Amino acid sequence: MSLHALIVEPFETLAFMRAALVACLALALMNGAVGTLLVLRRMSLDGEVLGHAVMPGAAVGFLYAGPSPLWLSLGGLASGLAVATLSGLITRAGARRDAGLVAFYLVALSLGVVLVAWRGSNVDVMRVLFGTVLAIDQRALLQIAAFSSVIVIAIAALYRPLAVGAFDPAFLRAVGVRAPYGAVFSALVVLALVASFQAFGTLLAVGPMLLPAAAARCWGLGAAVSMALAAGFGLAASIVGLLVSYHADLPSGPVIVLAAGLLFGMSLAAVNAVRRLAPTLARGS
Amino acid sequence: MWAEGRVLLREVTVRYGRRVALEAVSGEFASGSLTAVIGANGAGKSTLLAAITGVVRLAGGTVECAARRRLAYLPQLSAIDRDYPLSVAELISLGGWREIGAFRAPRSALRQRIAAVAETVGLSGRIERSIGEISVGEFQRALFARLILQDATVILLDEPFAGIDPQTMSVLLDQVTRWHQEGRTVIAVVHDLDLVQARFPSTLVLARRCLAWGATEMALPVMAA
Repeated sequence: MSLHALIVEPFETLAFMRAALVACLALALMNGAVGTLLVLRRMSLDGEVLGHAVMPGAAVGFLYAGPSPLWLSLGGLASGLAVATLSGLITRAGARRDAGLVAFYLVALSLGVVLVAWRGSNVDVMRVLFGTVLAIDQRALLQIAAFSSVIVIAIAALYRPLAVGAFDPAFLRAVGVRAPYGAVFSALVVLALVASFQAFGTLLAVGPMLLPAAAARCWGLGAAVSMALAAGFGLAASIVGLLVSYHADLPSGPVIVLAAGLLFGMSLAAVNAVRRLAPTLARGS
Repeated sequence: MWAEGRVLLREVTVRYGRRVALEAVSGEFASGSLTAVIGANGAGKSTLLAAITGVVRLAGGTVECAARRRLAYLPQLSAIDRDYPLSVAELISLGGWREIGAFRAPRSALRQRIAAVAETVGLSGRIERSIGEISVGEFQRALFARLILQDATVILLDEPFAGIDPQTMSVLLDQVTRWHQEGRTVIAVVHDLDLVQARFPSTLVLARRCLAWGATEMALPVMAA
């Protein structure tokens, strides 16, 4: 098989592969920024929980209108924001944060599965859990692109308070900042997960967000470069994942997440190897 | 000059869950005073600074501080995440927050002042370094540079000298003295009682409640007893 047939032909001949590729590009740009901030703010678990929090609302949207991207998104957005608010409240009430988050994660996931299974088929449940990156039509594509644009612009505009809130939250309070930037960031994460929902489903949506960002973070670069690198890693994982799943006839979403996981493992190994071989070089002095 | 630098506490009470961290503390930090806050671990020293700053919510009482908008706060080093990718210059530039706020870019005048304050604390050659790769002492110097840039009327320091090398310590102490001479109100949590004796005119002794508050030669023996 020629290189052309291996890499270019699937995208050249099949419209659904092209749509999937464009969707993955839009998602990678957004996920690079959101994921890097999630990792830097040490909120990976929050991301995971919010990913599942989208589920019950999306399920209600599904019950109401079937597998329509618009209603799935609206429902997911509503329940994601509700859980983000609730988890903020229980943290303030002084409960153990990790236990509270995991409780939400389990309840939201189970509730969503029950709701979809009540009226839908097993195929519908699978679709909600793992997404259908190969079934993205033009309308869904526009929706993903719009979400992605809004998120990237919002993060560019709000970067300074989000960053300071991550490493020195007391400073923001001391200079009199009262705007709830933490809550705004949680809302952006929910928005990003809703955008990823159709492509990757509620179980996998966090993968393309966190794994490329964690891989990029290994290299110890600045925040902006890390975001760009994470977007690049995300896109690379998507292309590799789509091609492997096409040629080997495997489900695309999980293969893309596996490819991203592989990039994370390779980054960890490479950085450790560099440190061991040239300890002074890696420290930069 | 700094007439508004007074901080007045009335029955200030703070609770973490059911635990009382600070109970009915009343008194006044006079404008331009330099006060050491001392006490055992868990005596509420950090909580008091956080309460004045507005970082923790009061369960009772009031903090009156006309200079609330011109207040600067140095948290304990452990409260800051040094893994965050940020250069020393970027960290110091936050001291210009009143000018740049959340959204504006620093102008060249601010950049010159950043270089100047970095020189004051002896960090000139290191401002392009990342905050994760400099030493603890250098990091504390960078935080002091940020405080200088904030040009605040009331300055709150939470354990500014804990775990700091002697050379850095003398740079930081000189800066505290300079702030005092400039008429700013400085309140610092300090553990070293000899240091309090030597450099701080006023002392507040805490044990959740206020045990003593006044001139250091009066208040310090209460702590020793």
